[in-house]
Amino acid sequence: MAIVTKILFMAVTSIFINNFVLSRFLGLCPYLGVSKKIDSAFGMGMAVIFVMAIASAFTWLINQYILIPANMQYLQTIAFILTIAALVQFVEMFIQKTAPALYKSLGVYLPLITTNCAVLGVAVINIGEGLSFLASILNGFFGGVGFTVVLLMMAGIRERLEKAELPKSMQGMPIALIIAGCMALAFLGFSGLNLG
Amino acid sequence: MKVYIHYALVLLIITALACGILAIVNEKTSPIIEANMKEEENKARNEVIEGADIFEKQALSNGSEYYVAKDKDDNLLGYTFIAIGKGYSSDVQTMVGINTNFRITKIIIIQQSETPGLGANCTKPEFSEKFHNLKTEDLLVDKDGGTIKSMTGATITTRTITKSIRQQLEQLEKEIVGVNFISGGER
Amino acid sequence: MSAFKELTKGIFKENPTFVLVLGMCPTLAVTSSLKNAIGMGMASTFVLMFSNILISLLKDLIPSKIRIPAYIVVIASFVSIIDMAMAAYVPELHKNLGIFIPLIVVNCIILGRAEAFACKNNVFKSALDGIGMGLGFTLSLSVVSIIREILGAGQLLEIDIMPQAYIKEPMLAAILAPGAFITLGLLMALINIIKDKKKEVKE
Repeated sequence: MAIVTKILFMAVTSIFINNFVLSRFLGLCPYLGVSKKIDSAFGMGMAVIFVMAIASAFTWLINQYILIPANMQYLQTIAFILTIAALVQFVEMFIQKTAPALYKSLGVYLPLITTNCAVLGVAVINIGEGLSFLASILNGFFGGVGFTVVLLMMAGIRERLEKAELPKSMQGMPIALIIAGCMALAFLGFSGLNLG
Repeated sequence: MKVYIHYALVLLIITALACGILAIVNEKTSPIIEANMKEEENKARNEVIEGADIFEKQALSNGSEYYVAKDKDDNLLGYTFIAIGKGYSSDVQTMVGINTNFRITKIIIIQQSETPGLGANCTKPEFSEKFHNLKTEDLLVDKDGGTIKSMTGATITTRTITKSIRQQLEQLEKEIVGVNFISGGER
Repeated sequence: MSAFKELTKGIFKENPTFVLVLGMCPTLAVTSSLKNAIGMGMASTFVLMFSNILISLLKDLIPSKIRIPAYIVVIASFVSIIDMAMAAYVPELHKNLGIFIPLIVVNCIILGRAEAFACKNNVFKSALDGIGMGLGFTLSLSVVSIIREILGAGQLLEIDIMPQAYIKEPMLAAILAPGAFITLGLLMALINIIKDKKKEVKE
């Protein structure tokens, strides 16, 4: 299969068929927490795509060239989460220096990417599915894209919802969850898509 | 500068202690984990070929292995192998038993994390029964013109299992008997 | 706060799932069956309790600037320990919970309690806080999974509960992703209603 087709299939799989938020249940805390405004959702999404792709790369290398040769796979969890924490720290410093406006708008959500289960999740999934170095990076990248797509949709809906009259018990978390449920229902339709 | 050295030292000590403790726990548990896996495979092997007392491991040229199943009088009963395929959300591993005519005796799904209620139903007897007594040529999903009816809402899982069994079975036939039944050999 | 109150606040008043809205990922992912929910709850409680204890013990030795990475190492260690222990002693449950076992390390409940409580309180109180929060988490996981398993598979703990006709064609959506979100959303709305009623009664 041509390499471009393969990448396209990977993209569709990671973004729609096996969406990280709606079918793998990863990245839910920021999904429910940061999705109130489209601008901050977009900024968060970009940061997450970047971190997921780079984290996939670094964790794959660490697993391949340090953990496996030393037979220390049991240290995978510690090694991976420390790598991710360090990475997020660097990304934070980088954004602070190069795009201070973005840094301000993301605020406390940037360091929270460390605890975004999608990042550690994709790192573990890459190893578990035995993906190659390149495939892991793509999986991380497209997984982040899928997260962003769903995050933006949620933000758009919630911005509209601000103007609607909701019963008091439904306001905030409950309605966000029910919307997520409807989106998950819609995305379930992709599960029949069989790509090579 | 001194402060940073202090920070680095504290982190280093904590991490070193952590690694040490984990190494100890790993020593204790990894033999048990390995034994669990072997035990599970053994159980599955005995289930797919009944009455077998001896299992001899053999290797295939594609890197995988199969087991020759014999009874206690050293009579050949059949073979067992594990078929692995990429399912919808996980790798699906199937333990397959075949008799001396290369027809499937029984299959058992030994590893899967497919969608509960859909793909995960592959572990139910209604699914595995479909494969009983089939030969290589029969291993096709209905959508591909065969006789195996796909599970509702789990066409990917059904196809993956069918395909993985078929591929491994073909390889096995080629190497054990030297005949490719699909391209016209006699059974 | 009295010791008893420390223990029980995690169960209702400060329930991590319904009040603090933490730990959403496992809540939605492992609640398709009660067995998995309880297993995850127990594993998380183990990590929560022990990391709270250790972090409280070490709170004066860890400089504030590096406390987050230090806490992460402690939590990740206990997660790795419970991961290996489960793989060895309860392999079936370990397989079912899959990647959500290592993901306990990023369960915001654990880091949250370390930051908010364990680094400021003594070992005994931190232990109680950990156990209480863990039990509260297990309780909420169980409630969600009971609803999902009965509606989605007609079973509870793999014992048939609903009539056979229901089991043949259960409400699949409950066990799948949408069911998770909607069940949790409706439960939260319900709890909001109860909370408001209680406030009204008080006034």
